Amino acid sequence: MKILLKIAWRNIWRNKGRSAALLTAIVIGLWAGVLTVGLMTGLLDQRIDNLIDSEIAHLQVHHPEFREEHRPEMVLPDVTELIEWLDDHESVRSYTARSIVEGMFQSPVKTSGVRIMGVDPDRERKTTTFHENIVSGDYVDVDIRNPVILGLELAEEHNIEIGHRIVLTFEQLDGDLASAAFNVSGFFRSGSTQYDRGNVIVNLTDLQALLSEEPVFHEIAVVLHDIEEAESAVMAINEQFDGLVAQTWDQLSPELGTLVLLGSFMLFIVTMVIMIALAFGILNTMLMALFERIREIGMLISIGMSRIRVFFMIVLEAVMLTISGAVIGMALAWGTILILNREGVDLAIFAGGIEEIGWPTVIYPAITMGEFFSITLVVITMTLLATLYPAYKAFRVNPMEVEKDT
Amino acid sequence: MAVIRTEKICKVYNPDTIPVHALKDVSIQVEKGEFTSLVGPSGSGKTTLLNMLGALDMPSSGKSFIGDVEVTRLSDRERIRFRLHNIGFVFQHYNLIPVFTARENVSFIMMLQGVGQRELLERADELLESVGLGDRKDARPHELSGGQQQRVAVARALASKPRFILADEPTANLDTKAAMNLLDIMEKMNEEQEVTFIFSTHDQRVIKRARRVVTLVDGAVHSDETTAVDSAVKDNQ
Repeated sequence: MKILLKIAWRNIWRNKGRSAALLTAIVIGLWAGVLTVGLMTGLLDQRIDNLIDSEIAHLQVHHPEFREEHRPEMVLPDVTELIEWLDDHESVRSYTARSIVEGMFQSPVKTSGVRIMGVDPDRERKTTTFHENIVSGDYVDVDIRNPVILGLELAEEHNIEIGHRIVLTFEQLDGDLASAAFNVSGFFRSGSTQYDRGNVIVNLTDLQALLSEEPVFHEIAVVLHDIEEAESAVMAINEQFDGLVAQTWDQLSPELGTLVLLGSFMLFIVTMVIMIALAFGILNTMLMALFERIREIGMLISIGMSRIRVFFMIVLEAVMLTISGAVIGMALAWGTILILNREGVDLAIFAGGIEEIGWPTVIYPAITMGEFFSITLVVITMTLLATLYPAYKAFRVNPMEVEKDT
Repeated sequence: MAVIRTEKICKVYNPDTIPVHALKDVSIQVEKGEFTSLVGPSGSGKTTLLNMLGALDMPSSGKSFIGDVEVTRLSDRERIRFRLHNIGFVFQHYNLIPVFTARENVSFIMMLQGVGQRELLERADELLESVGLGDRKDARPHELSGGQQQRVAVARALASKPRFILADEPTANLDTKAAMNLLDIMEKMNEEQEVTFIFSTHDQRVIKRARRVVTLVDGAVHSDETTAVDSAVKDNQ
């Protein structure tokens, strides 16, 4: 083995220019590949975390048909037992109950359709990070009558400022329409202009007073100590309580699950493109090196070097070259990700477009050790596969090639 | 017992299309310590016969023995292993490993044989001394002249302690001085250590120094002559 390593290593450097070019290709390819994976992972993680942390939480409980029909009368049945269960259950970190109705938003400028969400500001603060989205003014616990906060986009469309009064009209539980004036206490920016245009937040007590005589809830959002426990918690709730349905974050927001799948698929495609390009580079280099050395390989077999040793000599050359490039490329990529993870990548020039659909404009690339080692493993595997053909050609060399004139 | 023996070996290329009979019923026997040259015009079958003797190629028919082993019965893998331990090769184009020094080139074959590190380095140094390259053992092939490279090749061929050495046109790429120097070394080893040499050649300088000359014409043995060494020839050259 030692002799094979020695001859393979020296063979790599007999054509320094060619080996250096391939090494550079491996380094750049890996660096770009890992960085792409890091950016994509960072982008997806941020998007998912943002949605989960600011509104969806780890699981939600609704009336079984509420999410499809959005009817005001589809309230949660008596929630006392469920609240007790949530208070007692160890895996639950916090929860918040909400009332939600579809309604009309009227300003002196125009009327827009919105989703009106009544929240308990104290519980909401403990459960979600939505309050961090407030960019000016106060949350709905400010000491004014019927406070409401709007998305910046909606406010701009209606030319509204803090302190202005707007009217919300919606259907009550008994089917009658209710209209009430609300005072704008603040503006929020969630990261999704679509969300900011279509949602207003009011105080739960204010909304409940208008909806029915008794306090009613349409949604309970729950945050657990560990997101991984969401599925078991959902199963437990669904088994124990009738007339309601609990769903995990990915069931509530299937587009997030699709996003994760799409992201993984995109990463697979990007990685494969880089790896295939790398594999052909290695194949080409090794074939060129082989054809230049066919007489030498004939000589090695003539004097008694076994064909299997010749095979491994060629494989080792490619593996050593690739590992050298991989170590440099991975170190560079790791360093780059560490720096960018601290500093962030500002996509300001695309911000208008991606912000529209709720994506963050500053991305913090991240890569897991698993992804990192998977890429390394893929590189080594692709190298081995790309080397098999040249190594097989070397394995089959006729020892009489040694006497052929060049 | 003969070092090498062939029995009516034939080699036919393209047997299914346009057959070319490279060797026709060639039977020769080489004894230990012989200094034999295979001569003949181009296309006479010298290299083909050398390939058969070196177990590099298989005859279409006939048998070939090295010692008491019928090499024509061995598989490709067995023949490679057999060559490693029994046959030394010197090629026309030297064919040293360019990334190895002279010492590493000589010791390489011993590494393949599994000889211990210390022993193989000692033997490599001895062999390089014996071919007059004791002071160039760390030089790589491109730093050596053609004659020096061929001497390293002879040292490499001897390193495996083979039964015999096959040399294909060993002086073809050398000037007269380098060629004579190489022949002196080969002759000395033949005389002092009874190393058996079989070489193909066109070179009259080599033919005159051979003790046995086997002439091939059209793939068949035309003549097989044993000659006395003409010291005058050696001196004149």
